[in-house]
Amino acid sequence: MEDSKNSIYALKTSVGQEKNVARMLARKVRDSGIEINAILVPESLRGYILVESSSKIDMRNPAIRVPHLRGVVEGKTEGESKIEFEEVKRFLKPEPIISSIKKGSIVELISGPFKGERAKVIRIDESREEVVLELIEAAVPIPVTVKGDQIRIIQKEAD
Amino acid sequence: MTEKACTRCKRITSDERCPVCNVPASTNWSGLLIIIDPEKSDIARELDIKLPGEYALRVR
Repeated sequence: MEDSKNSIYALKTSVGQEKNVARMLARKVRDSGIEINAILVPESLRGYILVESSSKIDMRNPAIRVPHLRGVVEGKTEGESKIEFEEVKRFLKPEPIISSIKKGSIVELISGPFKGERAKVIRIDESREEVVLELIEAAVPIPVTVKGDQIRIIQKEAD
Repeated sequence: MTEKACTRCKRITSDERCPVCNVPASTNWSGLLIIIDPEKSDIARELDIKLPGEYALRVR
């Protein structure tokens, strides 16, 4: 890839307002011509957004003031607030959670009627991103099919 | 009005079909990427995005 002078900065926002801040900031950029080329809101980063800019982000600039935007994340020394592009790449292509689940893994359900229950993975449907689980505490083992985003891994490997 | 993301180009739209690719859009998407200047952006180049706009990072 060719060299460019773009840098990526992390901005702190209120938790839950990441998308709103990104959209308001995008509108401000279009209106005022601040040099921001892209705004990234990864789902895995709560309370932060990443901004690609060819100039340093200065919070004192009134054009960048947006509600719920708390500031630029600074490094230890001045001018060290940049993030390497290589580090950002992993946010651009998020790996589906399901690819890290194995048969026999212990998971916790994080939504749906069985929220909070622990279960053992008995089958994985990668194409539909679904897993078939068996609730650990249930008296009678009943297979339950849930989407990959409804579970959290507790124990990766089978015993 | 629910926002949907194109299953091919990941562009976020409120229509049933993507206005650019004309393929069905999905309501199941996550992550947000706003491309303001695709020509100057390294992120747009990495993901091969040519048009400015809002994109999802993951669409199912």
